[in-house]
Amino acid sequence: MNHQDHLMGDDEERLDLLFQTYRQACPDPEASANFMPQLWQRIEARERTSTVFARLARTVVTAALALSSIMALVVTVSHSHAAALPSETYVEVLEEDQARQNLDYFEPVHVEPIADHR
Amino acid sequence: MLVDFELIIRAREGDGAAFNQLVLAYRKRILGTIGRLIGHPEDVEDVGQEVFLRLYFSLDQLRSAEVFEPWLYRLTANAAYDYLRKRRRRLESRMADLSEQQVMVADAVASAKVEHDEGQRKAIRDTVDSLLDGVSQEDRVLLMLKEVEGLSLKELGKIYHVNENALKVRLFRARQRVLKAFRTSRKAVAGFGGSR
Repeated sequence: MNHQDHLMGDDEERLDLLFQTYRQACPDPEASANFMPQLWQRIEARERTSTVFARLARTVVTAALALSSIMALVVTVSHSHAAALPSETYVEVLEEDQARQNLDYFEPVHVEPIADHR
Repeated sequence: MLVDFELIIRAREGDGAAFNQLVLAYRKRILGTIGRLIGHPEDVEDVGQEVFLRLYFSLDQLRSAEVFEPWLYRLTANAAYDYLRKRRRRLESRMADLSEQQVMVADAVASAKVEHDEGQRKAIRDTVDSLLDGVSQEDRVLLMLKEVEGLSLKELGKIYHVNENALKVRLFRARQRVLKAFRTSRKAVAGFGGSR
């Protein structure tokens, strides 16, 4: 093993030792007396938030369903009204009307016999 | 396992008392792991409560009681990672900036001169913390679980749901980066000391 390898190996060992010492320098701590009460408070707070969101979601879904039902009703009613109306399109009705009006203004054509001026 | 399977099953079914017992059994171990993963003792309880909070709300997803421990470690690693990411302390430029004092701490550790008073412990924590600034938060957590917590590749594979070979490669690269930062700092301090 040359000097460089020796130094590198040395650093590897130093790093391992540093990690081991770090483990000893950070022992498992005892939790404070507030740990469990605070944990349950956080759990309850999260549950409350979830409940509020669930209620909000239910309200939104109910409102959406009600709105859909109302819209469905409106569409059905408008369709039943539409059935009473003529089935022709607007353009067809216009054309028909125009044709009727044109006929009213037509007068009989009198064809005068052409006089012979000779 | 620190508890029997029956307790885990009862907690999973919504038994609050069983969940309480579960927390009490694992609390010390989990807080210790979190402390070493994040390196900030003042925030350990907060992150610990976050881990058990996540446990409470996800226990019903646990497939079987046998995988409880890897699963709890997974929650712990994720909470520690989230905490470290939020702090956003890591900067590439800080990769090799161990202070002279920190290098001396590392040297003292190597020559077993370290005295374990609170000041020394803090110096060691800061030294390791600075060294690990050179790797990503994910690699930091992974490296700590392997090097400091002493988890095997098989255990890490169960926690991360990753193939052992992929973990080995990732760990090797992370360790090499830390080692490089360690050498750079030692050389810089040696050079600085030599020039005086």
